Amino acid sequence: MKTRKSTPYLYMLPGCLMVLFFVYIPVIANCVYSFFRLSSYSADMKFVGFDNYVRFFTNDTFWIMIRNNVLYCVISLIVQVGFGTVIALLLESSVAGRFRNVFRNIYYIPALISLTAVGLMFTYVYEPNLGLLNSALKALGLSGWTQAWLGDSKLAIYCIIAMSQWQFTGYITLLMVVAFQNVPNDYIEAAAIDGAGPVRRAVSIILPLAKEQFLVCTIITVIGAFKLFTEVYSTTAGGPGNSSQVLGLFLYQNAFLHDDLGMAAATGVFIFVITMVLSIIQLRVSRSGEV
Amino acid sequence: MKKRFFAAALATVMAMSMAMGAATVSAESEKKTIKFFHRFPDEPYNSFIESKIAEYEEAHPDIDIVVESAQNDPYKEKLKVVVGGDDCPDIFFSWCGEFTERFIRENLILDLTPYLDADPEWKDSLMENQMVNYTLDNGMVYGIPFRLDCKLFFYNIDQFEEAGVEVPTTFDELLDVCQKLQDAGFTPIAYGNQEKWPSAHYIGTLNQMTVSDEVRAVDYVPTTGTFTDEGYQKALEYYQQLIPYFNENSNGIAADMARSNFCMGMGSMYYAEAIEIPYISDPTTGLNPDLHYGMFKFPEVEGPGNPNILTGVPEGFVVSSKTQYPDECVEFLKWFLGKEVGTEQAQTIGWFNASIGTTEGVEDQSLLDAYEVITSAEEMGPWFDNALYSTVCDTYLTATSDLTNGDLTPAEVMEKVQASALEAQTLAASAPEEE
Repeated sequence: MKTRKSTPYLYMLPGCLMVLFFVYIPVIANCVYSFFRLSSYSADMKFVGFDNYVRFFTNDTFWIMIRNNVLYCVISLIVQVGFGTVIALLLESSVAGRFRNVFRNIYYIPALISLTAVGLMFTYVYEPNLGLLNSALKALGLSGWTQAWLGDSKLAIYCIIAMSQWQFTGYITLLMVVAFQNVPNDYIEAAAIDGAGPVRRAVSIILPLAKEQFLVCTIITVIGAFKLFTEVYSTTAGGPGNSSQVLGLFLYQNAFLHDDLGMAAATGVFIFVITMVLSIIQLRVSRSGEV
Repeated sequence: MKKRFFAAALATVMAMSMAMGAATVSAESEKKTIKFFHRFPDEPYNSFIESKIAEYEEAHPDIDIVVESAQNDPYKEKLKVVVGGDDCPDIFFSWCGEFTERFIRENLILDLTPYLDADPEWKDSLMENQMVNYTLDNGMVYGIPFRLDCKLFFYNIDQFEEAGVEVPTTFDELLDVCQKLQDAGFTPIAYGNQEKWPSAHYIGTLNQMTVSDEVRAVDYVPTTGTFTDEGYQKALEYYQQLIPYFNENSNGIAADMARSNFCMGMGSMYYAEAIEIPYISDPTTGLNPDLHYGMFKFPEVEGPGNPNILTGVPEGFVVSSKTQYPDECVEFLKWFLGKEVGTEQAQTIGWFNASIGTTEGVEDQSLLDAYEVITSAEEMGPWFDNALYSTVCDTYLTATSDLTNGDLTPAEVMEKVQASALEAQTLAASAPEEE
């Protein structure tokens, strides 16, 4: 059967157009908007050059946001990806035994709850007077350990990070379990016959073969860390003071609270650049595609 | 060939369904559709609004009112997005002051003055001291209040008696009362500042007394505000003196949680809005029947300001200037925010509107007391957080939240506010809407 040269391109056209309209054009428009001052209920735009960027980088909260996002990122990498992978290895090893499925489900359930619901739930856990956490500490005779948690400027961001670890470690675990199951049994058995113990098998056979998935998990976690929004919005909204402010929430507040869409666009561009650079670095470092 | 036939059949079906769709649209459009957007999705308020609208539709078969609602913060965001577009609701809830005035600058709000002038009976049925809040300096009336409000200290009568204290009238007396309550083993003031705006009500009220009216008027306008008057710092210092008497961890507690604590006796006083009365105790539903509470105005503070201003402007509805049916919208509001519905509203949900004489059948004495305070007020003061430019407000409240935690001093807070006010001057001056 003869095909015209243009035929395959015609098939590709709808998909390309959709990506163009829903991904690339908004990204470019966002970059353009970041040089203007504009509000959502007025059609006028005013060119202000780099003013939005200057205000963004000289903002009091800029370094607080960077610190909070980086903290979230680092802790999530250690706990979710690191610890989650270890749990996945344990689940796939003989240690888990016949309760394997039960454990897997228990770990995964938190990831199924909506972020807002979790946020709301944890505001009750962290509530200083009647909250679950302080009540539990008091019941254990540890009254001295009780804190204001979300109300404490130094602790608020850690409380939010802890909440996310509770929610998403199981998710990463599940992703890693799937990858480990795809590792051919022959290799593992061959290694076992050669005398490799469980740790050796995990480090030398299973993990390298699941490298791609591991990479995906780190990228998801890192990007998620810089897009962080709902967890903070539904618990402290950046408070007390600005102590738990993050980039995503800052963008949102500027767009919808302060009607400063230009500033919000500039923040968006910054988040985009950061996540893109980090993803490129990760892909380069891990030399994806090679086993 | 089969394929061709199939395609043709599909095309016919499509064309027919489109024609039918068009037909139904034209049938419906004979009815006048009014889109109505409010921010009271909670019960029983939502049901009350829905039932009144259903009643109106029954009496006016040509009118179809489509209701939408959202909670406070999402409401603000949604409204800002739709109000400038073609999809703007015909009638919507809007806070008086800067919140609505920026829409007026864009010609998005219908001027109600001619309608009021044409119907003097309607005009005279509305409270003057409340309507003034929905009136511009040039006399344009842009909204009609739906619920009256004011900020009052609610206090637990039993705990006051036990501690042997009287209702304070000055700030020093308030501190004295707090100390005595604390000595008697009570938490003097229930306070939850997790959402940051509760502090605005303290600061706003104090500012009205420590800063003169003229200075405040200049500072609350974004293009001229500097906040350099020393009265602002004084207000924060007064606030700071109250911090030891708040419950612990006030920054970690939500405002409604603080209210619950007050209701449960875990706080002898609570600085609350009159509209919160139905949440605090309700004889009809048996909510907190054992709580004996009274109300008093914020104790007076010496200063160049005006202690007679009562904090808390009313909240109401405005009409979009883009509406196809301005007359019908105004006609509906006239009824919905009028005396008849207002009386029923006060009886069933405990909120008064701005029509004169809606207290008939209201049995809750607290509601009647609050009504008396509001209607006899010389002047209402704005909600501080709505009165300020949003970035200045954000800085003010964020810094006050740090002050509450002991991380900043009043002087440091004002430094931040002043810097933010300066930035806001340039921002507001360069905003496209101002051109």
